[in-house]
Amino acid sequence: MFDVGIVGGGAVGSAIAYELSRFRLKIAVFEKEPDVCFGASGRNSGVLHAGFYYRPGSLKAKLCVEGNKKMREWFKLLKVPFKATGKVLLAFDEDEVKELYKLKEIGDANGVEGLEVIRGRDKVNQICPGAGEAIACLYSPMTGIFSSYLLTIALAETAHQNGVKYFLNCKIVDVRKENGTFKLKDQRGERYECRWLINSAGVYSAEFSKIVGVNGYKIYPCRGEYLLLDKALAPLLKMPIYPVPSKEVGGALGVHITPTVEGPILIGPSAEYIDDPEGYESTPEIMNKLFEEGYKLWPYFKKSDVIRSFSGIRAKPVPPGEKSFFDFVIKEEESIPNFINLVGIESPGLTSAPAIARMVREIIERKEKLLIKEDFEPRYLRGERFEELSEEEKERRAKEDPKWGEIICRCEKITKREIIEAIENPLSAKTLASIKYRARAMMGRCQGGYCMPKIIEILEREFGYKPEDFQLHKEGSWLFSGRMRKDD
Amino acid sequence: MIERDVVIIGAGPAGLACAVKLKEIGVSDVLLVEREKKLGGILNQCIHDGFGLHNFKESLTGPEYIERYVERLKKFNIDVLSDTMVVNLFQDKSMILSGPWGRERIRAKAIVLAMGCRERTAGAIGLAGSRPAGIYTAGVAQRLMNIDNYMVGNEVVILGSGDVGLIMARRLTLEGARVLMVLEKLPYSSGLPRNIVQCLEDYGIPLYLKTTVTKVYGKARVEGVEYVSLDDDGKPIPGSERFVKCDTLLLSVGLIPENELSREAGVEIHPITGGPIVNDTYQTNIDGVFAAGNVLHVHDLADWASMEGELVAEFAKRYLEGELSKAKRWIDVKAGKGIRYVLPHKISGERDVNFLFRVDSPYKNRYIIVRDKDRVIKKRRVINLHPAVMENINVKSEEMKGIESLEVMVE
Amino acid sequence: MTKEMICILCPNGCNLVVYFDEKNPDGFKVENALCPKGKEYAQSEILDPRRTIATSVRVEDGEIPLVSVKIDRPIPKNKIFDVMREIKKLKLKAPIRSGTILISKVAGTEANVIATKTVERVK
Repeated sequence: MFDVGIVGGGAVGSAIAYELSRFRLKIAVFEKEPDVCFGASGRNSGVLHAGFYYRPGSLKAKLCVEGNKKMREWFKLLKVPFKATGKVLLAFDEDEVKELYKLKEIGDANGVEGLEVIRGRDKVNQICPGAGEAIACLYSPMTGIFSSYLLTIALAETAHQNGVKYFLNCKIVDVRKENGTFKLKDQRGERYECRWLINSAGVYSAEFSKIVGVNGYKIYPCRGEYLLLDKALAPLLKMPIYPVPSKEVGGALGVHITPTVEGPILIGPSAEYIDDPEGYESTPEIMNKLFEEGYKLWPYFKKSDVIRSFSGIRAKPVPPGEKSFFDFVIKEEESIPNFINLVGIESPGLTSAPAIARMVREIIERKEKLLIKEDFEPRYLRGERFEELSEEEKERRAKEDPKWGEIICRCEKITKREIIEAIENPLSAKTLASIKYRARAMMGRCQGGYCMPKIIEILEREFGYKPEDFQLHKEGSWLFSGRMRKDD
Repeated sequence: MIERDVVIIGAGPAGLACAVKLKEIGVSDVLLVEREKKLGGILNQCIHDGFGLHNFKESLTGPEYIERYVERLKKFNIDVLSDTMVVNLFQDKSMILSGPWGRERIRAKAIVLAMGCRERTAGAIGLAGSRPAGIYTAGVAQRLMNIDNYMVGNEVVILGSGDVGLIMARRLTLEGARVLMVLEKLPYSSGLPRNIVQCLEDYGIPLYLKTTVTKVYGKARVEGVEYVSLDDDGKPIPGSERFVKCDTLLLSVGLIPENELSREAGVEIHPITGGPIVNDTYQTNIDGVFAAGNVLHVHDLADWASMEGELVAEFAKRYLEGELSKAKRWIDVKAGKGIRYVLPHKISGERDVNFLFRVDSPYKNRYIIVRDKDRVIKKRRVINLHPAVMENINVKSEEMKGIESLEVMVE
Repeated sequence: MTKEMICILCPNGCNLVVYFDEKNPDGFKVENALCPKGKEYAQSEILDPRRTIATSVRVEDGEIPLVSVKIDRPIPKNKIFDVMREIKKLKLKAPIRSGTILISKVAGTEANVIATKTVERVK
């Protein structure tokens, strides 16, 4: 019997697990995918938002501003790559300038620090080289960029190291509450029990809420496509460049250009309502549109700079055409005590994750006293980046262990030791994507052309993988149909 | 810091040939660095024949071709550091080497870049649809099959008719997979004509020209692709969409010279070839840094890459001896009408040059002309010109006396 | 009869034009060949098309699990899959030296299967 069961191991679910793992609680996280960052947590802009888009007094506004501060502590503890870049919203005409002032007002009311409207092309370009013809900008110094999937992994693995149990490939399909205990069943028929149940199922949150017995929520999946540009362009872009937000899709921030902590530049996301909560597709129309809209904002790239496209799905609580503001739902459901529902956690959900976790903790604390665990270790004890060490240190280590000398991924210069560390992850996530997210291999220019066969060789020779064991990401994403020459 | 006379980065057909030649002509301090355990680069996985027809006058498989060089390498006792990656390269011709043996910074008097090329990926061509397992570049599939003993799929569509794709169509068929079709967006194949015959026609595999994949289906594994006919401008023809069920999509959509190290060192890169800009001594903008093989421009034959390596060996030797006098001036070589690119990019006019070039589309019964403005320096009739085939034309220094410009063109 | 074909003997890929009379095999005429082999190829391609193949054989205890192989002379095109079947059955133990004959006269043809790579033993 677990004290707390968390359904959904993404950034929010794992943030809750991490926060609660400070206390003497038995905690389980149920994740339907083979790893924790396969949904929105690994498919977004990776921006730490400041909080000036959201209605003053709303949860989105409060939790975003709180999360922005708390997240900076977490980045240090969890070794998450972060850059305090600041960000600009560019205005190209006077109407847009008016919008900037409105946003600044909202931001000020929300307690966002340092917002400034800057007028004049030269001044704008001084703050953000490459801003081009923009006549004004809203500069937000509190905005930054970070690796959202490494955050999610670090949260999950640190929570795990503090005793949280992660069940991967585990989709909860049935929930019953009997005598104050939630009885859960997964897709394989395995059963689990817990006293508290937390729904952080993201794009599936409305569906899961219904399974538990709370109807009335609906999620409208809204796809955002991205293009990824070669990191050779990175020196040209200092900070995220956003347009004035679009009024077309409720709350979407518009196609922006964002540097990433890994180097490649992101263009996107688009906003398009779709039926499939996992319709992670790239479409020719949107790819062209992103290229054009991105080029308008930042005309420093060409078609051949695009190294990849991908998409993510927002968990929007509002249907297409609905333009009014909808807030996060974070509450204990009155009809089902001890069931904490998190619905419609779209942007700025990632930035807000620490604050959401704090709120969830407080909801539990209203009913019971949580006892601090003396041996809680807040730091992520893995995730060191060899490439970031000094050359002297690299030489020392390469002498110490041949696996630190052997480079497996040439684009990102990842050592064999880092690959093996990623393979031996504490969550026992076994897919190639799990290695990719943790070690950053197969992500660079060649997209695994060089290192993928080498990683396969390591998995085969040192971890005994058989042809049928190799899985790219989702269940069923087999890599090989077998041996070319069979042994029998 | 250890200093070597010549460091060659990459032991594929260009690097190996360069190392052997350097020894042959008396340069004793040569270090050949290779990131794989085995020498030979990508030819180790090219188990088909057709290599060596020019350099050895017989048709060898990739591994046999490499063996010829490796034997000579051993005979000459050439210093080889395999299993070693050059992780950084600096303008002062120093570099950081890393391998299971450790990590060290060394310097070279002369460097030969011979890192080869890499494949264009699904992302780079803006492939639409989801990102399931089962999308492989042809070269990766080749390695997984021919070296690692894996079958990459059962029902295969190949996008792009580059040589590696064609070779893989045959390879997969021989191993029992069903290759359903090869799609090529251009009106002609970018592979060698012989490969069209012996890899596709022999096995009844259809090649659809002016056709491309518009969408990949499948969330976990490829379940099929949508393909479409293209009009003369390369735009999809509405209504021509068709669907084919398959579990694997192989991409053979181009090769890109691997110049991340070169860029890091400050070597100027040519926008068309993707390789360093070199003069008629195959030297880059950095003195003493040379380039040969696919890192310079993508060759159609390994033989040419090796020959380039040998040529560069001569220049590197003369550089070390201080005999590679600086040209008084450099004349930019222009790729004229019908020409995609010409190498070398700059000439002094003082040395014989074998210009290498590729045409921009197929031509029949034309003249290749080398000229200085209106003065024709050289003219040669050619029956067949094809973008997949690298062409060459030799010009003697006497013929270039007094030139002010130089252009190679098709007429 | 006239037939156009691409000579596949080397990467030049000459576009041959072949004039022939099926009743009179000696009356072959071949145009556009850059070398004399073009005529031989055209003749063989029309009368008795042949190919070489290259593939792999399983090796145990080797540094890699396969040794690349080829056949040392062209075989009739319709024998390709028979030969493949034979080769697939073969299993070897490392080390294998490049140039070793692994199967002689494979599948009733005149061709031998030869290793094209050296695979060292590791275990």
